[in-house]
Amino acid sequence: MEYLATGNEISLMDKLGILTDAAKYDVACTSSGVERKGNGQSIGNCVAGGICHSFSSDGRCISLLKILLTNECIYDCKYCLNRCSNDVPRATFTPEEICTLTMEFYRRNYIEGLFLSSGIIRSPSFTMELIYRTIWLLRNQYHFNGYVHVKTIPGADWELIRMTGYLADRMSVNLELPTAEGLRSLAPNKHRKNILTPMRQIQNGITENKNELALYRSAPRFVGGGQSTQMIIGATPESDYQILNVAESLYQKFSLKRVFYSAFVNVTGDSALPALPGGPPLLREHRLYQADWLLRFYGFQASELLDEKRPYFNVMLDPKEDWAVRHLEQFPVEVNRAPLGQLLRVPGIGVKSAQRIVAARRSTNLTFADLKKIGVVLKRAIYFLTCNGRLMYPVKLEEDYIVRNLTDEKERIQFGSDGMTYRQMSLFDDGSFSRPLKEVEVYQGAVGSL
Amino acid sequence: MIVYRCEDTLESIFTAVYLAYEEKRDLQDTYLSLTEDPMLFATDVPVTADEEKAGKVARTLVRRFGERDYHTICLALATEDTQKAQTVFRTIVQGLAWTGTGRGMQESRMQPGNSHQGSSKGHLFDNLADDSVHKAFALARYANREVGHLIEFVRFEELENGILYSRVGPKVNALAFMMPHFADRLPIENFVIFDDRRNLFGIHPAGKAWYLFHGEETDQPQPVWSGEEGRYQELFRHFVKTIAIKERYNLKLQRNMLPLRFQEYMTEFQ
Repeated sequence: MEYLATGNEISLMDKLGILTDAAKYDVACTSSGVERKGNGQSIGNCVAGGICHSFSSDGRCISLLKILLTNECIYDCKYCLNRCSNDVPRATFTPEEICTLTMEFYRRNYIEGLFLSSGIIRSPSFTMELIYRTIWLLRNQYHFNGYVHVKTIPGADWELIRMTGYLADRMSVNLELPTAEGLRSLAPNKHRKNILTPMRQIQNGITENKNELALYRSAPRFVGGGQSTQMIIGATPESDYQILNVAESLYQKFSLKRVFYSAFVNVTGDSALPALPGGPPLLREHRLYQADWLLRFYGFQASELLDEKRPYFNVMLDPKEDWAVRHLEQFPVEVNRAPLGQLLRVPGIGVKSAQRIVAARRSTNLTFADLKKIGVVLKRAIYFLTCNGRLMYPVKLEEDYIVRNLTDEKERIQFGSDGMTYRQMSLFDDGSFSRPLKEVEVYQGAVGSL
Repeated sequence: MIVYRCEDTLESIFTAVYLAYEEKRDLQDTYLSLTEDPMLFATDVPVTADEEKAGKVARTLVRRFGERDYHTICLALATEDTQKAQTVFRTIVQGLAWTGTGRGMQESRMQPGNSHQGSSKGHLFDNLADDSVHKAFALARYANREVGHLIEFVRFEELENGILYSRVGPKVNALAFMMPHFADRLPIENFVIFDDRRNLFGIHPAGKAWYLFHGEETDQPQPVWSGEEGRYQELFRHFVKTIAIKERYNLKLQRNMLPLRFQEYMTEFQ
């Protein structure tokens, strides 16, 4: 640690600023996947769903203390703020500083745990060892029992990665760019193979650990929250179809928990990078996340959503609507009879509302009014659903017609003519303005002296 | 019609439920009211909370519907809705009737994969098409969201004696649902959460069980921060400011996720 202590005169505040600024483009800020009760002796527990503690002014959640260990990086990736040829202030945390910050922030309920990434200092293995030391200190000396997410440094020694895996809840290797060609052009020091190797090793480690845990319940857990990765969207010319296929194979072949998509922000101004006059491709990122959800929770496959001929997502329709209008032969779906898998494919029905429909129809025959209570988004769903064999309105099951209605405000059917509406009531919906009755009036009404 | 006049406490409402069954009332024609509003052709029955009776109701609910549905009922009763007692009562009545006739049993037997054979555990809120069930469910969902938000957004300040202190102003009576989470998370800390809308303190002494306590904040001397507190607050504010990507600036999204009414209590927005 002597190396780190010397020549570092900057205050903790400045360091935190520099190393937060350097880490902010990493998107994997979730604290989910692990349920761990407190042990009564030390600080910390984990909640399976994860907890967001704040939201920054870009609307993204702040769940973990997301920092780099150091931004003194020897690599020269063209998209990265911390590339060695970039002139930015450099700083390195000591492990003690990270531990104290984590503990003090955690006690005050500012954060859910630590997200520790790093630039490559000296060599990948050296960096990984520093990360390991920090996490070891946090777990064993500071007795922190909360969530820890650690970046795996590609090219680091497997033994170091393995040891870190026993201390961390989630590990991730950044895929950076969806294809090997993209990586070669923008990140000359990184290789696809180096990224996929630790991913595979950790995957195997998790599988082995599961077998161990089945035999010995108190065996130490290895990366209990699973692995994740992230890709930069829009820096290289890959299509949505390619990206989605990469994501799908990562889920299937590497059993990742999450793949994150990060809309490219041009921070270095390198000539090899695209200029983005319209700002980062946020809609594209959004559509990819929507499709990602369809893959993981709705039983869709990448090849159903996009194909070679239509490699990009529809800008106007979300991926599920887009799929539905192209597969009208499977609709309408009968709410009271359709199996769960079929309900999940209806636009406007989410996982929760599908489950609620299945539970509710055991005791009653569902109508459209009931669907609204259950939480189905009728403005999207009505074209694809029947209740007891009847559509809600006489809509045409025709692609152009539905697309027009789904996308255009004015063309939409006027709802509310029959007293039922999917919209929230607003002040001007109804001519009869009313106010709640006063207590005196209720009394007068009751005794008949109003 | 029989109208049970209860107070706005879990005990009082559960006692009323007990009385309605004990006194063999016509359950369809019984009303649980939290207010003093008079009703036509109604016989008023004042309810005095009885811990034993309330306990019996609570145990029955857990036995019949399981821990999770019981928790949902408690959440619904933590809201400020004036109809909540009646709504929950109707839900319980239809749930008990449903299992009483054995319909629930038949249904679950028909499904081979069902592990709770012959019980209706976890199915109290299945029938969302029913108005009362839906309303109770919606109330509970509202309360659950509020509790969830508080667990996320509570900020502790370290006082000079090392106690962690926090102020909240929630829309539902959430302390009882928040305390277990923090007691599990910070077992070795002394911490206090103060609900300034209900003048209720949740107190957790280090290593001991937590409890609730009614009192005015002004009874206590003005809290004084510990020496390091200001520094960590400043560090966190700096962190929150730096982590935002200015190209993605989106204040509306931030406000959607983190409503303004929470922000006044939060360190990073002060």
